[in-house]
Amino acid sequence: MPAATAVKAVTVSDDPQVYEDEHVHSVYDEIAPHFSSTRYKPWPIIAQFLSSLPTGWVGLDSGTGNGKYLPLPQDRPGSVWTVGLDRSRNLLEIAQNAGGIQREVVWGNVLEIPWRAGAFDYAISIATIHHLSTPARRKLAVQRLIESISPAHGRALVYVWAIEQDELSKRSIPTECSTNNPVTDSAKGKDVFVPWVLSSRSASEEKSKIPTSHDATAEANKVFNRYYHMFAQGELRQLVEEAARDLGLLIGSAGEGKGGDGDVPVRGLEIAQDGWERSNYFVEVRRWQSIS
Amino acid sequence: MVRLITHNLLACHVKGCTSNNFPLQFKDVQVELREAEFNPDFLRGFIPRLEWGALVDAARQLGDTSLPAEPPEMLDDDFLQKLHHVLLEVHIEEGAMICPNCNHVYPISNGIPNMASAYHQPIHNVVN
Ligand SMILES: [Zn+2]
Repeated sequence: MPAATAVKAVTVSDDPQVYEDEHVHSVYDEIAPHFSSTRYKPWPIIAQFLSSLPTGWVGLDSGTGNGKYLPLPQDRPGSVWTVGLDRSRNLLEIAQNAGGIQREVVWGNVLEIPWRAGAFDYAISIATIHHLSTPARRKLAVQRLIESISPAHGRALVYVWAIEQDELSKRSIPTECSTNNPVTDSAKGKDVFVPWVLSSRSASEEKSKIPTSHDATAEANKVFNRYYHMFAQGELRQLVEEAARDLGLLIGSAGEGKGGDGDVPVRGLEIAQDGWERSNYFVEVRRWQSIS
Repeated sequence: MVRLITHNLLACHVKGCTSNNFPLQFKDVQVELREAEFNPDFLRGFIPRLEWGALVDAARQLGDTSLPAEPPEMLDDDFLQKLHHVLLEVHIEEGAMICPNCNHVYPISNGIPNMASAYHQPIHNVVN
């Protein structure tokens, strides 16, 4: 049982925003300089999504972190323009120069919408929504994402951590539920703490994040517990569909929206793809509208 | 970073502030000019997405009057170079943006705008 990398079940307490400030935002602010250099390789689904966008499109990276997706697509750099939004100011300082070029970043909250409605052609939310600590807040974040993109052609990709972990993942996931997370809830996701170990001895050496044992060295390390909601199979798709329905959108392809009455546009959202990739669930959506 | 490409997207989102909340007005801004790579294909595709009038006004507030009141029909290199400069080479480093409707102030510091509303003000936990 590797103590330092074990994932612990937790129960969310307090005001969710206060809870997230303590167990997400302040952690990222502190570990920002160390966190950044270890994470840069885009997963294939994300790279493909950003490569598929038409030249001239403008997009939002909601929860951009260190901005590692801002330079994409790799095959056509500069063909689209992604603006990064995050709540951690220290991560944004890094994101500002992601890939060695000046980027546009905005300090704000993924539950708010500081943009013209539908201003973006595309949006991505990668490894962000799983840091929100209630179902209502996770749904609101998805709604904000949908509202940020064009009602006529907007595309979005959401990517979250899965309970079902890759075999190669070194993390051990608790199988038992905590007392406040009864077994009847087992079809849903799990609330957990994922530790980040920062070595005081070699803060610049990233390999130090997994100490070998609980000795004097480990004592000098500082452990930051980050809150995650690990998604269960089907949970993300259901969340996205509920979010879209609450916004009055039809779920389905554009053809199914034909035959409305009058001049009121029928608006909808199509699930373009969804699935599991390397310990994460993803859903890609496309907005559409038709005037009959 | 606040360049005009981003300013053209931002709107006030204070609760109840839903009309005349765009574009935000600059106040006491410090501007720096920095070269950026010219990408005419991106600009051609991007033009229809702009709120053109807001861009022209914002540029004039910053002392740049190079853009015409309407985008031209012929997108020649001379025009695209001017647009490129206005959108991507003018950096607002310090100052604020103010909502024309409710006067909410969104500060800009070190090139990063704070767009959180009062309720969602981030905690200050800067360790560096
Ligand atoms: Zn306002």
